[in-house]
Amino acid sequence: MKFSYQWIRDFVPDLDTPAKELEQLITVRTAECDGIHPAGELLRGARAARVLSAEQVPGTHITKAVVDIGDGETVTVACGAPNCREGLRTVWVPLGRKTIQGIESNGMLASAAELEIGREHEGIIAWTSVAIALKPDQVIEIDNKSLTHRPDLWGHFGMAREVAAITKQQLRDPVDLAFLPTGSDSFDVHVGDGTLCPRFSALAFENVRVAPSPYWLQYRLTSVGMKPINNIVDVTNYVAAELAQPMHAFDRDKLHGDRLLVRTAHDGEKVLALDDHEYALSAADGVVCDAAGPVSIAGIMGGMESAVSDTTTRVVFESANWNASQIRKTSARLKLRTDASMRFEKAQDPVNTLRAIARAVELMKIVCPEARPAGGFTDISESLGELPVISLDLDFLNRKLGREIPRQDVVEILDRLEFRTEQAGDRVLRVTVPSWRATKDVAVPDDLVEEVGRMVGYDTITPAPPLVECAPPPDDPKRVWLRDLRALMTGRGYTEVYNYSFLSDPEAERFGLRPADAVRVLNPIASDQNILRSSLIPGIFANLQLNRKHFDSFRLFEIGREIHNQLPAMPKEVLHLAGAVYGADGLFELKRVAESIAPGVRVEPVSDALDYEHPARTADLFLGNVNIGRLFEAHPNMIEGRAAVLDLNLDRVLRERQPLARYAPIGRFPSGAFDLSIIVPLRLHSSQIENSIREFAGTLLERVEYVGQYAGPQVPEGTKSISYRVTVGAPDRTLSSADINAVRAGLIDKLQALGYELKV
Amino acid sequence: MESTLAELEKSSLEEIAKASTIEELEAIRVRVAGRKGGALAEISKGMGKLVPEERARIGKLLNQAKDSVERAIEAKKKLIDNEALAKRLDSEWLDLTLPASGVKPGSLHPLTQIRYELEDLFRSMGFAVLDGPEVEDEYHNFDALNIPSDHPARDMQDTFWLDGGFLLRTHTSPVQVRGMEHYPPPLRMIAPGRVFRNESVDASHEHTFYQLEGMMIDRDVSVGHLIYFMQTLLAAVFRREVKVRLRPGFFPFVEPGFELDIGCLICNGAGCAVCKHSGWVELLPCGLVNPNVLRMSRIDPDKWSGFAFGLGLTRLVMMRYAINDIRLLQSGDLRFLNQF
Ligand SMILES: [Zn+2]
Repeated sequence: MKFSYQWIRDFVPDLDTPAKELEQLITVRTAECDGIHPAGELLRGARAARVLSAEQVPGTHITKAVVDIGDGETVTVACGAPNCREGLRTVWVPLGRKTIQGIESNGMLASAAELEIGREHEGIIAWTSVAIALKPDQVIEIDNKSLTHRPDLWGHFGMAREVAAITKQQLRDPVDLAFLPTGSDSFDVHVGDGTLCPRFSALAFENVRVAPSPYWLQYRLTSVGMKPINNIVDVTNYVAAELAQPMHAFDRDKLHGDRLLVRTAHDGEKVLALDDHEYALSAADGVVCDAAGPVSIAGIMGGMESAVSDTTTRVVFESANWNASQIRKTSARLKLRTDASMRFEKAQDPVNTLRAIARAVELMKIVCPEARPAGGFTDISESLGELPVISLDLDFLNRKLGREIPRQDVVEILDRLEFRTEQAGDRVLRVTVPSWRATKDVAVPDDLVEEVGRMVGYDTITPAPPLVECAPPPDDPKRVWLRDLRALMTGRGYTEVYNYSFLSDPEAERFGLRPADAVRVLNPIASDQNILRSSLIPGIFANLQLNRKHFDSFRLFEIGREIHNQLPAMPKEVLHLAGAVYGADGLFELKRVAESIAPGVRVEPVSDALDYEHPARTADLFLGNVNIGRLFEAHPNMIEGRAAVLDLNLDRVLRERQPLARYAPIGRFPSGAFDLSIIVPLRLHSSQIENSIREFAGTLLERVEYVGQYAGPQVPEGTKSISYRVTVGAPDRTLSSADINAVRAGLIDKLQALGYELKV
Repeated sequence: MESTLAELEKSSLEEIAKASTIEELEAIRVRVAGRKGGALAEISKGMGKLVPEERARIGKLLNQAKDSVERAIEAKKKLIDNEALAKRLDSEWLDLTLPASGVKPGSLHPLTQIRYELEDLFRSMGFAVLDGPEVEDEYHNFDALNIPSDHPARDMQDTFWLDGGFLLRTHTSPVQVRGMEHYPPPLRMIAPGRVFRNESVDASHEHTFYQLEGMMIDRDVSVGHLIYFMQTLLAAVFRREVKVRLRPGFFPFVEPGFELDIGCLICNGAGCAVCKHSGWVELLPCGLVNPNVLRMSRIDPDKWSGFAFGLGLTRLVMMRYAINDIRLLQSGDLRFLNQF
């Protein structure tokens, strides 16, 4: 929202705080300012001028003009405007001297658009008065988001009230209700839905002459970012920008019948709106109709067919109050946000409709003096109800703010903001909320705490520690564990990445994710981010692809959530760790990571690897009987070079892992050991042999350790020799060599019985 | 005999001095001082013919000569050993400026690092760290925070909507609600996490970013307490005193609501491009918890009050490390991440 400094000063005549300072004050007291922009800069030094002579420079569109700029001064100007002619009264601005087409040109003759006081840019402005009263202005830009709760601040008068309260100056109300014409209704209105439209005020004018508005008015509209159209439309826009009450003007002669009707739209009903776009409405939308059908989308945009044109001679002004949530819904559904809908969805003050009519009448007398009201004003209204009254306990106020504020100051602050206060007991004020703050904004004592707090200034509150018990709360074991995991990963060389939660359909398909498992985004930011990730792997593959270009080898990991569809229940979020090693012997390194995170993890190679997995280098990971993840090398079709990946379901690991319950005593007698070399088929899993050794070794077994394996000339083709060191011992004696040999012989027998050959 | 002995000692000592290996020395020792057939032993054989007085004198001289030769041999041996060791050590010269071995440690994501710092800080001040889902329902993300469906404040947070009426949380504030549902007051909690807004991405806008929500519910919690906690927090985050200013800000779940600005750390308030020449940088929204929000979570606002704030972790990280492109944080690019 843009606010003209001069416009605000219309209502705070004694305002002498410079705009720059005012911007800061508004920011800390009321709403966030986004900066100040100059408006009408060229008006600085501009002078009313008369063209004394004008001659075209042959072969160009330039006119050499000798111009009287008043005070007996004459200048020569090179002017490119087609309407530059002898005798024209216009505006000259001092813009320095330069040579154009051989002409020593001093300053320039300006168009209305160049002066920023109107739309006309085709030729230089025609200016009839002898002086230029318009002065450069400054426009304070306020962040719309910070006005969300303040319907009153969508007009200059509302902001002026804040400024007057902040600077402790007098506030002047621009509205004089005495301008309201009385008599029988100038136009008939019927409101069929009082919830949709709590109030509808209207006034018809006759003998209207549509023309451009005076420049001062065009200047105001232009400086706050509105387009001047013609005197009638400009009046409605001016009132909206001043009083926050949107208005609309219908061409009376283009309305069918003698009455406007407010109702909800019929499903599928169509309106051609002022933006030349046809909108299909539903029963959830409001319309204003004439005898033939809708003539406007209620509170949002008027219809094209009844729009005011150059030939209009009779108009009906609408100044209505619309239901905020209704406007918001329709505006969102039609994707049609207008100056009017933005104001109405903030819940405008129904008291304001007649004030706007009164102000419009006053403006019409200036911009279209020949027009006259066609009767009295029309006003269809729900009962407006009492203004809310809030009991404000001053001790409550002080406790909330954390500082003492004298009663007198509280009363004065509320008074300047036009809240009425009465004493109600020793420490209590009865506060009546003004109508423009009562629609949604101020309802409970806490709201008044804010009013007082912001006006005394939060910088006057001394920071203070609360007097509360203070002991660190017990920590969440999962959080502690996750911290340990991150330390473990980084200690082993893995760098943490954060990947997005979004995937595309083709990505999901490439990674074999089940479509039914995917949570779909209904309004994705891009078509390739339309589902939520039900796996961390696609993100990790993207990381591998990217970093492969820059590094020969690297390690990375992510701890993040998989999101799985559980409709109609809430999606399930599962915490995963995904780690990757590129360009090194990563599988066994990652296996060690898995063992560190999930002690006792069992690796079970799978024969049905997925498309992105190396078919001969992929395994499931188990704790007990529970699958906790996957260890694999990326398929070379997916990633060039060797990339190993570990994916762990941390929720399952946390649930299944068995912390050590008690320790095993250390043996008091020395152990004995022997090695076994076993010839087995090349692709027999070592885990199977190890399990056999454990199973067959008997009760004296202490541990089995892998020593190494060999395949080559010294062993038969298609086999490998795999060696283990078997350590045996007893808790109560030192084993004799006979004991040890017995274990060894027994093992060899049983392993041979399985068909393995042993190198004895 | 006496002169032969003196001659032998002298020549032996000369040989020892000339010797350069342990083997040479050993040969000298055997030849001169060997028990059998050594030159000294040969000399001592002739002692039987001497008169007792003379025998005693020569015997003493003989022992002295033996001692002298053996000491010289030992001393020379030690010298040779030391030289050999020095030579070996010298040959073991190592270039310690070569790179270290073993895998280089990886690094934690900067967002994780700043989150840990803040978690530690708040835990030390008695705040529990809570967690909530990234996919939320409308109730927890909006309604319970005093943002009903027709409220224009919903437009302030462009929302990703999902199947089944669910949504990606637009802020970490729903964890406040979940916290109040689970824990009776008094309550002090923070909730860090990933949040989502349906915004196009450029160098300063992301659809995925990170917040840390905080809330304290107790008796008579005031704006003064809020400012105290925020100053403590920010001094720890920026590792220096930070100037703080509150100004009105509208967030339906707090009343009064504030935008908290900090004095620009780049220009110290003098005005620069970062603070748009205002001397202040907008940092976090906060406020006293709206009584409606307390009531919806079945906490009696006449007995309890509180403050809440939402800290943008992404923003903090960018400020701390002067990161000029927000997209780097989720790029997975190790050229960026390995720096932290
Ligand atoms: Zn600065």
